[in-house]
Amino acid sequence: MALKVLTVDDSKTIRMIVKKAFRPYNCEVVEAENGVEGLAAAIKEKPDLIILDITMPVMTGIEMLDRLKSDAGLKNIPVIMLTAESGKDNVVNIVQKGIKDYMVKPFKGEDLLERVGKIMSIEPRTKEEPPEKKPMKYFTQIDDIVVLKLPAKVTRPETVEVESSLQSKIKDMAAAQLNRMILDMGGVSETNVSLIKLVITVFQHCQKANVAIKLVATSKQGEELKGFQETSQITVANQIGEAKAML
Amino acid sequence: MSGIHAVDLKSFVTDSVKRVFATMLSMRLESEEPPDRTSATTGRHFVGTVGFAGAVIGSVNISVTREFAQTMTAAMLGMSVEDIGSDEEVNDVIGEVCNMVGGDLKSRLCDAGFICSLSIPSITYGESFRIQPKGWDRHDQYGFRNSHHSVLLEVYVKGVN
Repeated sequence: MALKVLTVDDSKTIRMIVKKAFRPYNCEVVEAENGVEGLAAAIKEKPDLIILDITMPVMTGIEMLDRLKSDAGLKNIPVIMLTAESGKDNVVNIVQKGIKDYMVKPFKGEDLLERVGKIMSIEPRTKEEPPEKKPMKYFTQIDDIVVLKLPAKVTRPETVEVESSLQSKIKDMAAAQLNRMILDMGGVSETNVSLIKLVITVFQHCQKANVAIKLVATSKQGEELKGFQETSQITVANQIGEAKAML
Repeated sequence: MSGIHAVDLKSFVTDSVKRVFATMLSMRLESEEPPDRTSATTGRHFVGTVGFAGAVIGSVNISVTREFAQTMTAAMLGMSVEDIGSDEEVNDVIGEVCNMVGGDLKSRLCDAGFICSLSIPSITYGESFRIQPKGWDRHDQYGFRNSHHSVLLEVYVKGVN
């Protein structure tokens, strides 16, 4: 059974580094960006380990730690502090609250894993397991057409996740003899380089797998796509129904 | 409060900055004396800031050009500069670097008896602007260089009372 790790840090960069460190191991990493979200995630997910920053907006890591320790259902979850603060008194006070370890930034992912390994067993992923759960949250199906709906924000991490999911989905589609897809980017709030690259990548994967694909975008996005050489020739539909009719 | 003048910030801050860049970005920084303020703040540039307040108040500012900020972001996230999706990622990386250096300094001040708390980082981005120090007990500047890029670190400190 995969170890569930909750990383609570207001920096997305740090959460990504933590997530990346655990990737080779049989672990599922859940993220939260402040103490309030962290507490909610701890209650919902019941993680096996919490990696907790101190200085965060909304609720600090110290407040979150106090609440964890005062909750009978959560107080036994091991906590490793991962913070830029290393003042002696501060460290002593926090250690006395009952944490398992205190790690000071800057840090390397392997150092974090070494600390984790001292308090619990982490197993490498076996070859039979997929390297990471492929989230299928982006996909729905209308009749025999698969719809890939992009999230509101598309930056590098989302592109990696969508592309990874797409590859699995295309295999599933081949097995189910489905060969039509709609890429819906109408809900994306900002057209940036990551989004353009992702649109191109999705089209390339579909073409390679002989999956017919149509794009749904707003009129504004359609105009923006024309500004990029690689996407300038893509026909854009404004509604799913319109794209469906074009397939 | 004159006690703050007695705290050796230079060796501590320079070690801290070099350690953060080496550990998180795998980048080697060399000290640059005098600091090359112009290189780090000419054209479009980022300034990451964290504040601390308590027995002393102050802030730590790190200034880098947009080009170097993107190089830092790519290094920290393990990607190429072309793969950076938006300035949001750059802001986060500059903020986190600043947080680590500021957190280290804050801890050093606490250990020296100047108990204070750290703020979350903020980012200023633009061109043709300069942050002017006014009314601080100390305003120290430290310069660093990585290849042809400069990093300017400024520390502002003022004692309370």
